[in-house]
Formats: sequence, structure tokens, C-alpha cells
Amino acid sequence: MKTKYILGFVLVIAITLSLGAYSATLGKSELVHFWVAVPAGNVTAPMVLRGAGPPISMSPIVIDLQSRGVLKNLLQPQLEGLSTHWIYNLGKKPVKVKLNLANVPPDIAVDWEVNSGFEFDAATHTFKTPLYPGGSVPNLGIDWVFHIPAYYMDEPVIYDGGLEVIDADTGAVLTFIPIKFVNGAASSSATQGGSCH
Amino acid sequence: MNAKETLIRNRWRYISFVVGFFLFVAPFALFTRAVYLIVGNTAEPTLHSVCFRMPIDWIFGGRFYSIFGSSWFMAAFVFGVIISSIFLGAAFCGWLCPVGAVSEAISRAVPIPNKFRLRIRDTKLTMSMRYGFLVGFIAVAALVGYKLASDQLGSICCRYCASSVLQNFASALFGDLSAIEYWQSGAIISLLFWLVIGGLFMSGGRGWCLFFCPLGAFSGLAHKLGARLGFYRIEHKPESCNGCNKCQDVCPMWAIKEDHNIERTLCVNCKECVHACDAYKLIRGRKIADS
Ligand code: SF4
Ligand code: SF4
Repeated sequence: MKTKYILGFVLVIAITLSLGAYSATLGKSELVHFWVAVPAGNVTAPMVLRGAGPPISMSPIVIDLQSRGVLKNLLQPQLEGLSTHWIYNLGKKPVKVKLNLANVPPDIAVDWEVNSGFEFDAATHTFKTPLYPGGSVPNLGIDWVFHIPAYYMDEPVIYDGGLEVIDADTGAVLTFIPIKFVNGAASSSATQGGSCH
Repeated sequence: MNAKETLIRNRWRYISFVVGFFLFVAPFALFTRAVYLIVGNTAEPTLHSVCFRMPIDWIFGGRFYSIFGSSWFMAAFVFGVIISSIFLGAAFCGWLCPVGAVSEAISRAVPIPNKFRLRIRDTKLTMSMRYGFLVGFIAVAALVGYKLASDQLGSICCRYCASSVLQNFASALFGDLSAIEYWQSGAIISLLFWLVIGGLFMSGGRGWCLFFCPLGAFSGLAHKLGARLGFYRIEHKPESCNGCNKCQDVCPMWAIKEDHNIERTLCVNCKECVHACDAYKLIRGRKIADS
């Protein structure tokens, strides 16, 4: 009699862990979430930036569109997204943060969906409030949605650019996180970077 | 029971659900907006601002700085809901939560014959599955949070989120169509489980609540504790029961046991059983149970 309860309990734990494992796969290829900190320079390899505030892990982001979930590839292959909830200033002076997605081909449209505790100028992609050392942009949610035209979908490399985090007052690029969208493992040694945590 | 009777019987609860929608879901999110206004937060509140899962994920994943940092409000909300369940039963689930409300509403609105809808009558089985999910959720939060398996496992919390699907639909309904332009696989799975499998094809429409919501699971435990301590609860009086099982049929949370007592870890305090049968009585105030 008790066996069925134990079975039900264990079965659902197993399903939940499997969903966690599937989430790990999806997290590297669909709506990748990543952390951003300044000043990190050019993030050419996985790194942990330490300074004022918590240590922040960053790495170049390579998204293999072939690794996405079946449902995504079936229903919405031409849209891919990136997201961050975390922009930190680990430096020594306040920074007015401006963001820029570098090297986006003119025929790939990118929607910026921004919600933030700091006022954000959507035209220049700049936060109007300075970010103090050790601080982060409160209640942040930025989604970048890439609209990829059908004729790009067979290219081995679809997007090869990155996110520039710029000091809006001086124009200096404080952090650059390379971002690449590729098609199939042949184009990249490993899909890496980003998670929800 | 026809739709009109259901509407009349549940009128206060349904009004409360509408209020819940305006309190928590953007573009209104009036409750969150008021709190943000008081504390000077200029972010645009959404249903995510009171996420039902993230604070639980943070605690078990060791991210205490999130609880005490800028997201303190989210954590306070979740703890508030759980603690209030000790005294009021899982009233947030039964009366306010927009996620549970929408799936329950869809289940009521679409007339699929009961024989096509799953209902587990063995409350212990339902409970073991509900708490199997909770244990799995906590295990994933800890394994990811403490980096014990952070390459092998990813977040259950954010990847499969009915709240975010609901918020996106609500935003689209109120003019922001971009909210529903991007779908990741986890969101598609959540939508399917929340509204189709859990909503349409599970009796009562509360499949998400039963098997996928850690806040609901903790609220159920809190209610069980509260009832033990003599606080608010619904009790079954066997002397008034004729064994017709109508109570089991109307309970959206499959919380009525074979002996018609209530499994409190599942009950959301919706009072459907009280409306259906005189054998169920509300116990308000503090009164130690005889059951
Ligand atoms: S169980 Fe979760 S989703 Fe369901 S009503 Fe309660 S808080 Fe909402
Ligand atoms: S036991 Fe009664 S009050 Fe509790 S969920 Fe079922 S019908 Fe609602």
C-alpha cells in the first residue's frame, strides 16, 4: 500500500530533476541569462570579476541554435533572446551605464525590452542614474529579442558581436562580453556562458 | 452544476480573484505599485515583482544576499503568504493568486466531460506527488546554488514559470504585444502544463498548484500546522454526512479524503465543500480541533 506513495514521491522528484537537467540545456541556448559587471575589459574567457560588491562571473556567450529545445525549434526558430537582471559596478567610481549591442547585421532586428529601477533612455540605451561602486541596477530586467531572417538560419555563424557596457560620460567601453549565435556544434567547440543564476 | 450556480456560489471568491489580478498583475499591479511608491522604487511592477518561487529558490540555494538586498520585498511577500496560511489557511491560493485563478477559471469555462479529466482520489498519493515536487525543487535549488551540479542542472524556478506566461499574456491583452513575441521552450512547457494538462485535463483546474508550485506546497504545510494549533480551518462532521461524495467531486484541490476529512496540506480554503454540504463547518478564531 505504501509503495505507491513512495513511488509517486520518487517519480515526481525524478521528473523535477529531469526538468532541471533539461533547463540546464535550454539555459545555454534559449534566452540565455548572463551577469554583467564593470569594469571587466574584454571578456575573452570565463572570468570572475572581484571588487566593490559581490564577485561576478562572466564569460563569452556562444549560443548554438541547434541545441535549442524541440518545441522552440519547431514553433519559433527565427527568434532568439538574451537576458540580464544583473548589472554591477565593481569599480571605484560612479558610472552612468550605456549599453550597446555591437556588430548586429542590419537585417537582424533586435527588440530591447527594459524594466529597471533606474530611469532608462530607450533611444540611447543609457541609464540616467549613475551606478555607484558596489551597486547594481535595482529590479532590472533586460531582454534582447533577435529577429533572424530565414535566409540567415543556415549560416554557420549568424551573429558575431557582443554587449558593450560603456561609460556614458566618457564613451569608454568598460566591459565587452562577446556574443555569438552559431548553427550546430561544428561551428563552436562548446556552447557556454549564461544561466538563470 | 451549471455555470450560473457556480458563479453565484463562488461570487465572493471570484470577485476576490479579480481584485487579486488588479493587485498583482501589470499594467495594474496596484499592491506592488503602492509598496514601490512608499519605498521610492521606480521600477515598473509586474507579477514577477512578487515572484512566488524565487525567494524559496534563493533560501535553499544559499543566496541570502538576494533576500536582504533589493529584492527584499519579494521575499517578504512570500514569507507573508506562508505565515498568513497558519492563521487563515492557504487563503492566498484560494482567493487571490492570479495563476491559480486563471487555470481554475479555464477549467470551469471549458465544458470537458469529467471522464476525460484526471482526479486522484487518494489524497496521500496526491500529497506524496506534491511534496515530491517540493523536494525536487529544493534539491535543484541547492545543487545549482551551491554549485554542486550547476553544469548538469538549471533553474526550475525561472525556466518553467506560469506567472511569467500569465504576465506576458496580460501585457499583450493591455496593448504590449511584444510581451508574447518570444517563447522559450520552458515557457511553452509551462503553458501546456498550467492551462492545458493542469487546467483543462485535471479536475478542478489546479494541476499547476497541486504539482508545480512551491509556495502552494509550503502554504499547505503552514495551514496544516495552523489547524493543529487550532486556527482557522474547515472541519467535517461525520454525523451530518450521508457519504454521497459530492464534496470530493467539487474540491478543486482533491483534498477530501476517503473518510471525508480534509487533507489540509492540499486545501486552499475555497469553501466549495462548505457550499456543497452541511457536513463541513468553518472554524474561525482559535479553537482546538477534536479531529
Ligand atoms: S499553489 Fe501557487 S500557483 Fe496555485 S494558487 Fe497557490 S501560489 Fe498560486
Ligand atoms: S477541502 Fe474544501 S475548502 Fe479545501 S480546497 Fe477542497 S473544497 Fe476547497
